[in-house]
Amino acid sequence: MTRQDDGTPLLAIKNLQTHFATADGLVKAVDGVSFSIRNGATLGVVGESGCGKSVTALSVMRLIERPGRVVGGEILFDGKNLVDLPDDEMREVRGNAISMIFQEPMTSLNPVFTCGSQIAEAISTHGGITGDEAHKRAIEMLTQVGIPDAARRAGEYPHQLSGGMRQRVMIAMALSTNPDLLIADEPTTALDVTIQAQILELMKALRERNRMAIMLITHDLGVIAEMADDVVVMYAGKVVEQSDILTVYEHPHHPYTHGLLASIPRLGEKRERLEVIKGVVPNPLNLPAGCLFRRRCPNAMPICEVAPPLQEIAPGHLSRCWLTPAGDPPSVGEAPGTDAALVAAAALSVEQ
Amino acid sequence: MASYILRRLLQAIPIVIGISVVSFLIVHLTPGSPVDKFRTPRVSPETINNLIRLYGLDQPLPTQFVKWFTHFWTFPFDNSAWGYSFTDGLPVRDKIFARIPSTLWLTGVSLLVTVIIAVPIGVLQAIRQYSWSDKIITTFETIGYAMPTFWLGLMLKQTFSVQLNLFPLFGENSFGKNGDILDLLWHLALPVTTLAIIQIAGWSRYMRASMLEVLRQDYIRTARSKGLTERSVVFKHALRNALIPIVTLLGLTVPALLSGAAITETVFSWPGLGWLSVQAVTDRDYPVVLATVMIGGVMVILGNLLADIAYAVVDPRITY
Amino acid sequence: MTRSEGLPVPGALPAQSTAEVDEVDLVPVRTYWQLVRKRFLQHRMATIALVLMLVLVTSAIVFPIIGGDAWYKTSLTYGPNDPSSLSAPLGYDNLGINIFFRLMKGLYTSLTIGFFAVLIIAGIGTTVGSIAGYVGGWVDNVLMRVVDIVLSLPTFFLVLMFVAFMGSGNVFVIIFAIGLTGWTTAARLVRAEFLRLRESDFVQAAKALGASDRRIVVRHMIPSALAPVVVASTLGIADSVVTEAALSFLGFGLRPPEASLGNMLTNAQDYFYRQPLWIWYPGITLILVVLAASFLGDGLRDALDPRQRIEA
Repeated sequence: MTRQDDGTPLLAIKNLQTHFATADGLVKAVDGVSFSIRNGATLGVVGESGCGKSVTALSVMRLIERPGRVVGGEILFDGKNLVDLPDDEMREVRGNAISMIFQEPMTSLNPVFTCGSQIAEAISTHGGITGDEAHKRAIEMLTQVGIPDAARRAGEYPHQLSGGMRQRVMIAMALSTNPDLLIADEPTTALDVTIQAQILELMKALRERNRMAIMLITHDLGVIAEMADDVVVMYAGKVVEQSDILTVYEHPHHPYTHGLLASIPRLGEKRERLEVIKGVVPNPLNLPAGCLFRRRCPNAMPICEVAPPLQEIAPGHLSRCWLTPAGDPPSVGEAPGTDAALVAAAALSVEQ
Repeated sequence: MASYILRRLLQAIPIVIGISVVSFLIVHLTPGSPVDKFRTPRVSPETINNLIRLYGLDQPLPTQFVKWFTHFWTFPFDNSAWGYSFTDGLPVRDKIFARIPSTLWLTGVSLLVTVIIAVPIGVLQAIRQYSWSDKIITTFETIGYAMPTFWLGLMLKQTFSVQLNLFPLFGENSFGKNGDILDLLWHLALPVTTLAIIQIAGWSRYMRASMLEVLRQDYIRTARSKGLTERSVVFKHALRNALIPIVTLLGLTVPALLSGAAITETVFSWPGLGWLSVQAVTDRDYPVVLATVMIGGVMVILGNLLADIAYAVVDPRITY
Repeated sequence: MTRSEGLPVPGALPAQSTAEVDEVDLVPVRTYWQLVRKRFLQHRMATIALVLMLVLVTSAIVFPIIGGDAWYKTSLTYGPNDPSSLSAPLGYDNLGINIFFRLMKGLYTSLTIGFFAVLIIAGIGTTVGSIAGYVGGWVDNVLMRVVDIVLSLPTFFLVLMFVAFMGSGNVFVIIFAIGLTGWTTAARLVRAEFLRLRESDFVQAAKALGASDRRIVVRHMIPSALAPVVVASTLGIADSVVTEAALSFLGFGLRPPEASLGNMLTNAQDYFYRQPLWIWYPGITLILVVLAASFLGDGLRDALDPRQRIEA
């Protein structure tokens, strides 16, 4: 099911807005997010808990549940806008062209059905084969994801398997339909470190074999470094920085990205203590005006009272910060600080 | 499994003894003596003393208890094991056994009706949570839950027996129609409706809650992410899990099947165990009272055990 | 179910702010009680139920005072055939007693029974539950076996026996019978809450700071464990009122001239044919009490103890 690379991205999210009408007020969990994924490429989406990265993924799958709703934007996949696709057509995309694996292998499998039957179900839903054949294919998939004695394991219930094994079952299930895009939402977070590495290796190997694109959601920049080609950094429901992996690691621009990078321990580096980003993510019900990061930002300046736009600071490198591409505070008369008020006004009109 | 059941039965022994002590004490510490009602001018003091000796009432309480308790468990072989009724002198065991079929008819049929109606209602409400149908059904459930059984029974009786004359006022069979199954069902209609309305209110609420709990589990999201139809997600993946606590509830309901529905039976003069026990309390027929409390308690313990076993059968995660 | 993100739970957010926090970040500071009030008021039925309960309680107190002895005074001038009037909205019964005032007196009695029975339930339940949960070990074991025993006995039948043998028709006996048999659920809830709290950070912290057992239990644990007790008690009022009515129906409740909703229902049975409405008055009143108490209980549970949302 791999398609020709004709330059159009496999998945293009444009100005996605997913809001939750909670009893306490409207939460704009995803607020104007845009990015795209190329065929066969791996995009890492990174950010703290609650920044909207999982909601973005669930929006793509159209698995947002009440009181959440996609209120605006487009999700273009294979020439179709998933946001307004009829339910039955969406079901054919879901689990077939786009598959998803979740963070919690312990709770993501149905406890009352055997692993094999849960994989076979995905296959027979989309593959046109049923019964014994689907079951055989399920066992094949289990072997592919490195489960020893797959035939026996297929007959076991999820609780009889370890967390790492269950995540392998989830991967087998997700890949059983040869998807073009795999969305992996924190696939290794709940696992032991050694198992994490194994699962990442497995995903890499399968990515090569199946030539599929991956949208990898994680808070762990280490995992991103290991896997991703491109990176999207999200903060409080917005994209704050976006670029290819090297640029983000070598020349991060947004202070938040700086903070994230500074907070990972590196081998062979002697530091008294790890940096932490001061403060917490702002309350989604009560977002501050201006730059959402400014209260935690070491570089906060008066202009940050006005929300910065997401602007291209170098070819293919976007950042939502008033700092100049070189990382200096903008001064009047210099780009992009020129007519800062004008830019700010423009930005405001876009944001609201 | 067998060793688990055995262990559970052994664990139940102290509880059974506890139940026996409590019921024994309630009966024996009441003001007055069980033989008081025989004290009329026409009964000689000697007869009274004979009675006291006959029932062992002259012995210290612990002795009486041990005697009664050990004798109690010989009931499979000895029809006097539970003593003789004060009202008619019949063996209590036979009196109680004679009532069991009537009680099973009433409670069994109403439980069946309840499950058949309550489970689909609960599922429907859960998948349409907060919709108008959910809200309306919830209101009815709450009213059903709030209605005292006997009041509902009386109202049904007033409407359908007294005013519309559609169903019989009381009893199990019309005169001379013993064993006629249609006649029995005709008599069953109102008491079963009474019990079923009350039970459906509770069960469908429980089913709704169980289904809602399951529907927000991660594995339901997984099922949806596979592209399954909503029908398959709800009826295959969710329902199978949501029924697990219902099966447990079923196990816990079994004791009520036997100990009967005292109030409903009394309203409709249904000749079951429940009505018998209420009559026994009214008449201070202590041997019958003691036996019914004991049966009730033992049934609860067995019901719990049954619920746990059923749980293991339907939930692959549980093994003993 | 654990989702690291997904649905943001606004109420839970301030709890995360254990790190160094910029004070301005803690914008929505709401106290626990403000949150409780907000959550309760959002529960529309619970708000209605609260109003209804207040109306019922007020009527039960005010009307018997206004009516004086009207609730039991028989009259030869009035009877069932007299039309209702402003002073007797529901007319007169066969003895010429003003039905409305009798109904209000009955409501008063039933609510009193419910209230005191629940006090006993909460008292025993909290004591047993907190001792079992805090002391643990064999004490816990023994107390929980006692709970098992009481739970295994058919509750209503036990009440029935107790009342029948100890003094039927006596208000105090009825209250004690309901109270002594109904405390097990409250005890289990408090125990569970205590087991949870015993391991919780703030109790551990209080221990580490050298607080005494008594202080920890009284100042820290009981207030936290009270939420489920309050909920169970509210629901318990409904149960108690219905139990009283059922006792009356079976002939063990209060006897006329005393008035309770139960004995009014029972007496109305005799007029099934001639005065079919008479059974509706106490019946509807009883249902209103039960409805008000159960919605109130549901609302309180959602407001006080959001974790327990699933009713069972």
